[in-house]
Formats: sequence, C-alpha cells, structure tokens
Amino acid sequence: MELRKYITKRIIQIIIIFFVILTVLFLLFRLAPGDPVSMMVDPDMTQEDAEMLIVQLGLEQPLGMQYLIYLKNFFTGHFGFSFHYGDPVVDIIWDRLPNTVLLFTTSIILSALVGVFLGKIASWHKGKKVDSIMTIGALVTHTVFLPWLALILIWIFAYKFGWFPINGMISEEVWLDPEAGFISRALDVMYHMVLPLSTLFLIHFGAYLLIMRSSMLETLKEDYILTARAKGLEEKVIRDHHAAPNAALPVVTSVGLSLAFSINGGALTETVFTWPGIGRELVSSVSQNDYPLAQACFLMIAGVVLISNLVVDVLYAYLDPRIRY
Amino acid sequence: MALLEVDNLSIGYNTKKGYLKAVEKVSFDLEAGASLGFVGESGCGKTTIGMALMGLLPPNGSVKEGRILFEGKNTLEMTDEELRKIRWREMAMIFQAAMNALNPVQRVGNQIAEAILVHDPSVEKDQAMDQVENLFRLVGIPLDRLRDYPHQYSGGMKQRAVIAMALACRPKLIIADEPTTALDVIVQDQILGEIKELQKEFDLSIIFISHDISIVAHMCDHIGVMYAGQLVECGPREGVFESPAHPYTKALLSSFPTVTGKRSDLIPIPGETPNLVVPPHGCRFCDRCSGPEASCSTEPPQWVEIAPGHRALCCRC
Repeated sequence: MELRKYITKRIIQIIIIFFVILTVLFLLFRLAPGDPVSMMVDPDMTQEDAEMLIVQLGLEQPLGMQYLIYLKNFFTGHFGFSFHYGDPVVDIIWDRLPNTVLLFTTSIILSALVGVFLGKIASWHKGKKVDSIMTIGALVTHTVFLPWLALILIWIFAYKFGWFPINGMISEEVWLDPEAGFISRALDVMYHMVLPLSTLFLIHFGAYLLIMRSSMLETLKEDYILTARAKGLEEKVIRDHHAAPNAALPVVTSVGLSLAFSINGGALTETVFTWPGIGRELVSSVSQNDYPLAQACFLMIAGVVLISNLVVDVLYAYLDPRIRY
Repeated sequence: MALLEVDNLSIGYNTKKGYLKAVEKVSFDLEAGASLGFVGESGCGKTTIGMALMGLLPPNGSVKEGRILFEGKNTLEMTDEELRKIRWREMAMIFQAAMNALNPVQRVGNQIAEAILVHDPSVEKDQAMDQVENLFRLVGIPLDRLRDYPHQYSGGMKQRAVIAMALACRPKLIIADEPTTALDVIVQDQILGEIKELQKEFDLSIIFISHDISIVAHMCDHIGVMYAGQLVECGPREGVFESPAHPYTKALLSSFPTVTGKRSDLIPIPGETPNLVVPPHGCRFCDRCSGPEASCSTEPPQWVEIAPGHRALCCRC
C-alpha cells in the first residue's frame, strides 16, 4: 500500500517536471538564433508567399499566444509538420521512438547487469589480479571517447572482418522478402544492433562496475555482514545474498541519474551508426532549424528519461524496503 | 573439562603504526552454564577476545600465540569450514552494534530462520519459521513483527531480535559484546533481565563484554578485569568486587557511581592507557598506579593468587 502511495507521489512529480520541460523547451526554441522561415523559404518565393507561410506556422502571433497554442497542440497530439520532411511530426516520432527505446534500454540493462556482476567479483578479489584487470578495463572503456570507439569498432568488425553491417538497422533484402517471418526480421535487427549496442555497453558498464565495486567494499564493512559471517553462512551466500543486494542500491540510483546522460551517447551512437532513432533525428533537426521536429524529439527524450527514472524508482523501492515502508 | 579454556592467548593487529599487541597472554576458563564478564575501558582488548573466540578477527588481526579450547578442541587449528560449522550452532554472539547487526533489506524473521537452516539442512523452511516464532515469544517480540524489516523495529526490539537470533541454534556459549550500550537504561535493564533468565533456562554459558562495571556485576558470576590488552584481575564476582586486589580494579570501582550503594566521591583515574605498539616492559598500569614500587616499571608483573580462583597480575598484591 505504501508502495502505491510512493509511486503516485513520483508520478505527480514527473508530471510537474514534464510541464517545466515543456515550457523551457518552448522558450528555448523561441530564443534560439536562426530563422526557421529563411530555412524553408525558397529564394524564388515572393514576399507575400513567405508571409503567408509565417501566418500558416503561427509565427506572427505574440509569444504568449504561441505558448497557449503550443500547449493546446501538445495535449491534442498535434505536433505540426516537420519543416524538413514535410511529414507530420507525430508520424516521424512514432517511427523513430521504438528504435531508440530498443537500443537504449537493451544497452542500459545489459551494462548494468554485467557491471554489477563484475563489480561484485572485483570487490571480492580486492587487490588481486582479477580486480586490477577489471578496474583498469572499466576505467579505460568508460573514459574512452564514444565516437572514436564507435568508429574503431566499425573499422575492425564491419570493415576489416566484415562480420557486422557498417550502419543501418535493417537489411532491405530481408524486409522486402514477403517470405521472411518475424524471427528472421528480429534476427536481422539484432545483427545490426550488435555494434551500436557494444559501443554503448562498453562505455557504460565500466561506470556500473566501479560503483558496484566500491559500494560492495563499503557494504562488506557493515555490521550485518559480520553477523552473517558469525551465523556460519558460507562466503558465497554472504556475498550474494547479504552484501550484493545492499551494495546494488547505489548502482540503481546511478542508473537513474545516468539515464539522461546516456542520451548524449545515444544520439552520437545513433548518428555514427545511422541508427534511425530519436537521437539522430534530434541532431539533424536541430542543425536544420526544424522547430517542430526538434521540439518533439526533445519532449520524447525527456519523456523517455522521466519514465525510465520512474521505473528505476519503483525498482529501488522494490529492492530497498526502507523506501517502501 | 571446562566448556571453554583460553590459554596464553595473544592477539595483534597490523596497523600503519606497527604491530599493535591488542591482547597479551590472556588465560581463563569457562564452565558450562557459567557466566564471565570482561570489563575494561575502550581499547583494552575485550572485543578482540570475543572476535577471536568466534574466529572473526578482521583481516589485519591475527592470533600470535595461545590456544582456544572449545570442548577440548582447539578452534585456532580448525579449518575455515570446520569453524564455520560450529559458529552459531555451538557459540553465538550478540554484537556490540546491534542496531546495525540486521540486514536492512531482509525480513527479520527470515534472517533468524537462515541461521537455523544453514546449520541443520534437515529442517524445512516452515519448521524454521515455527522455531523463529518460539524465539520471538521467548524474547517478547509480537509475532506479527516476524515479517517486518529491521528499520520498522525500535532499538529495543532490534536488540531482542538479535538475542533471538543468538539463541536460534541453541548454542552452548553466547558472547555478548556490549549488548545494551545503545539502549536507554530502562530497556537496557529489561533486556539484561531477559538475558539472565534465558541463560538459566537454557543453561547457557555467557561471556559478557562491557565497559560498564555495574552491568557486569549484575550479569556475571565471574569477572575478568582487563587493562591495556592484559587480564589484570580475575575471579568470582564477590571476590573481585569486595576485595579488589589490582590497583586498576580498585580505581575502576571507585570511578563508577552506584545508585544503591553508599555515597562516595568518584575518583577519576589519572593518565592515559599505554601505547600498545610499544607496550612498557614492566607493569602497564605503573604510570597511573597510586603507589607503584621501584621494580614495577622494570619487571613484568606476575600472577598472585588472592583467594582460590581469584588472581591478580600485580607484584604489590
């Protein structure tokens, strides 16, 4: 019951935060330099046509009015048309969002699980060779420059060995083949996902490993670990059932915190691998002054981060009874 | 044969400042059903002895010499696995920091059941939980708190849960290290009373470690007074309290107030405890002693028998 109250509270907070983001985004785009109309306007267009376009886009209205229209459009699901594509923004977003969510969540879950597991092992062998190798490895992969890592992976595994596709998310021959079933299509996507996923995984798992390791080392000093040892439990049980669940709590927190930052990496990774996701769309829409699309991308990313944070919070409450009760 | 015989036990810690001799040449016996209290100020080695008995010295701590015979078997020569099996089943511990002795993310009942299950694989989970219920009744925790988490307990309840846990496997020996220090005096008194009753009921041997001499006097029939890593006086309660022999025991007794006893001025003990990395060659209490002799600071003191079973480590006695 307490858990329900906690989640309700978090949802209300998230709605408020989302409103703030909505407003900030609106202002940000109105204040940003660069004129969207000039981007769209054809040099051959007459002055009249250009003005008509401005009216069509609602850009002649005062800022307050624009804001109200913006809110109304948001709640009625009207995001307008992309300046660049000419298609409804909603369609573009719905087309890209699943791709981002797929890559994003898989990489977060994978790197958190592997990081926690390896961090636990490293702490258990503190000061030994295994620990040094893991710690140094984690530091190196975590601090490496992401686009560089992505390009190196492409160069080695896609170009030199030709094991994986260089970019994209699907192979046309599989998707155009009417015979191909769901499984072969899914496998095709997974095959394309290996390199971008590896990039994100390599960048992120090190952080989780290091947090888990130090958290484990702190936890092992706790009195309840001494109790567990005094109870005559086996070392493995102490490590896995008493220390690890407590030590993993800070990792869960840091997953929540790092979600927003992973978006940066996500946008870069999507761009390098031409992964058709929100991140790549965001980068290109911003550089093209494509207001409606960029705005929607930002909102979607904010939404994804907020929802993932909610998931993390619920997970935290599930793992730590002190939050739940 | 005594349940526990500790013979010439020396324990030290590797520290940045050097090898710290935390416990030196401590010997004592404990009969089944008897209770022995160690008293002394912080850092005198009481807790170190408790940890060594359980085989739970921290990684930088080690036993330098001596024997710990539990039912005739030297625990110091046991393998980790052998030691793990007698822990809790034969000797359990009530920890100094009972407030943090329970795992915050596990239900209290399960944590106690775990101790039962690990030492007796033939017990089913349900049976173990039944036993935990009995333990809760025994220590006076309402049964509906079985499935609670530690943070939902009050300090006194946590302490009771820790005691219930110590009793879980019906051990022969319980080492209680400052079990009530974090509690207010009323709860402290209740819990001490309960420990005493449980001791009688289960014919437990108890080693009680405390800095509070009045608690030790209340709880134990034998007293060991420790100072700077050494046992300096040891004997039956009446002997030690009514005719203390070692100057430190005397000073300790006059530095504690009593509620019921006769009114007298408290006398603080001047000076500081010696450095245990380089302990003095002679008597360690020499610098703080009220009337040292010339030989005290140069000659290590010898044990003197004051009365049968009552001895003191002092050459002036």
